[in-house]
Amino acid sequence: MTQRPTRNLGRKLYADRMYYLMFLPVMVFALVFSYAPMAGVALAFTKFKSTSVDGPEWIGFDNFENLFVGIKSDLFWGSFANTITLSVANLVLATILSVVIALLLNELVSRKGRSFIQTVIYLPHFMSWVVVASIFTIVLSPSDGFINNLLKGLGAKDSIYFLADEGWWTPVYLFINRWKETGWGTIIYLAALTTISPEQYEAAMVDGAGRFRQMLVITLPALSTTILIVFILNLGKVLNIFESVFVLQNPLVYDTSDVLTTFAYRVGFKDGNYALGTAIDLFKSFIGLILVLSTDAINRKIRGSSVL
Amino acid sequence: MREVFSFRNGRAPRSLFRVFNFLFMVGLVVAMAIPIVKVLSDSVDRSSTYGLTFWPKNFSLVAYQSIFTNHSLFVPLIVSVVTTLGGMLVGLVLTTLGAYVLRKRDLIGRGFFSKFIFITMIFSGGIIPTFLVLKGIGITNTLWAVTLPTALNVFNLVLMRNFFEQVPDSLFESAEMDGASPFTVFWAIVLPLSKAALASIGLFFAVQYWNEFFAYVIYISDTVLYNFQIKLRELVLSDQNLTDPALIGFSNTVKNAAVVVAMLPFFVLYPFVQKYFTAGVTMGAVKE
Repeated sequence: MTQRPTRNLGRKLYADRMYYLMFLPVMVFALVFSYAPMAGVALAFTKFKSTSVDGPEWIGFDNFENLFVGIKSDLFWGSFANTITLSVANLVLATILSVVIALLLNELVSRKGRSFIQTVIYLPHFMSWVVVASIFTIVLSPSDGFINNLLKGLGAKDSIYFLADEGWWTPVYLFINRWKETGWGTIIYLAALTTISPEQYEAAMVDGAGRFRQMLVITLPALSTTILIVFILNLGKVLNIFESVFVLQNPLVYDTSDVLTTFAYRVGFKDGNYALGTAIDLFKSFIGLILVLSTDAINRKIRGSSVL
Repeated sequence: MREVFSFRNGRAPRSLFRVFNFLFMVGLVVAMAIPIVKVLSDSVDRSSTYGLTFWPKNFSLVAYQSIFTNHSLFVPLIVSVVTTLGGMLVGLVLTTLGAYVLRKRDLIGRGFFSKFIFITMIFSGGIIPTFLVLKGIGITNTLWAVTLPTALNVFNLVLMRNFFEQVPDSLFESAEMDGASPFTVFWAIVLPLSKAALASIGLFFAVQYWNEFFAYVIYISDTVLYNFQIKLRELVLSDQNLTDPALIGFSNTVKNAAVVVAMLPFFVLYPFVQKYFTAGVTMGAVKE
């Protein structure tokens, strides 16, 4: 009796051998390009530079000590603060703007007009960050850029170098981010809006509510769960901002623009300090994991189901 | 009833809201379009300064001509096309194979396989360990480094699996009874039935590889292997690459034209494929 299940198991495994063979490439890719690098985070506890002749040398938590309280602490905490400021401001703006635009799009009577506007506002999502940064570098250029030409036409004396000015960089960064992604962000809210039953609106109309009031008392509350879920899901990813900052920053604005990921990149590749760069990345992943797990716990409380 | 009440409710506030909404939408479209239209217009304008115009003053296609004839701009364009097609192919192979296997509900180890690849979505080793692994297997400074590591995309794999799950089980069963091997079923039945999914997920991969930038920054030091995104950035940040005497004096036009070329494939395809993209997003959202 004990033999039979095993034999069946063996037979089943053999019968499905081709499935396992077909999954092999997927496993290999995951192992080589994801799991092997994960093992590499051990570098964070070593001393290892691009110029090192020997392999990594164990030094325990020295790298983290350097970052938290040592010689790199100013840069490290500065970039940590920038990461939080930029991505939380971006997330709050994203939520407000996408919801408002979704609500207003929903009120448009003309279907054609609506789909035209959707087409236009989704478009920048498909442009790479390099393309978007290039467009705005040209448009915001201090020499013959459209915005500076416009300001001069309105009577401004000097050109503003938007992307190299510490005061301007953050608002300009947030604007460009919203220009690129706000339209795309409306999709999920528009999808949620289609699930509201028309009867609710009819009832409100009977009560004498106009379109604007209906929007406030029916549509917006109906969206609240979606808004909350999208918000906390994205809250778990706030530390990941990278490419948008990388392509828009320059040495003149490092103080206000440097985030953990760009800092890790420069330490790792420009200074060649692989171990310290890995330590910054590991810190980021660690905090990120805590954020994801806690936002998931909140989400579970609200919806009764986990997203992980 | 409704008519009566909506009438009593008064026309003025409603039409005021409509007017406001209309103006808001016009403003939104204008704000979205200004930067793009300006770049498009200036890319075919050979003037030395552009000012505030949205229409070329000295129309000329010389900048586009130079992109397709100037070696330092044309080679990156070829690299972009090659890596986009190659990456898309590898990506689709992995996605369809993985999705097909994960579709089989009674496969022993299916739960483990799912977890094994989902974990890669949550955890990552970060840029430096990844770089060292690629260097270790000797593919840095080759185009493999910018295509292979991102070819396994779990999000796309889940979308593909959801799609395969819509293929009726009876099709598989009858084929298996006829003695067809799993791979034959995959190749001869599932793939031909999945053209729409292949097209849309293929497009996701195409966007991903065409827009790839940072992988080149880290893994590629040989400038011959740069793609168009990298070249565009170099071009916009400095004039040093325009050593060709034919280009001197209108580097701004070339910059604008390079931006247009970098976004052109999706400008052309976009109206036709928008519905696939939005379908993908809402499908993913529902799954979340």
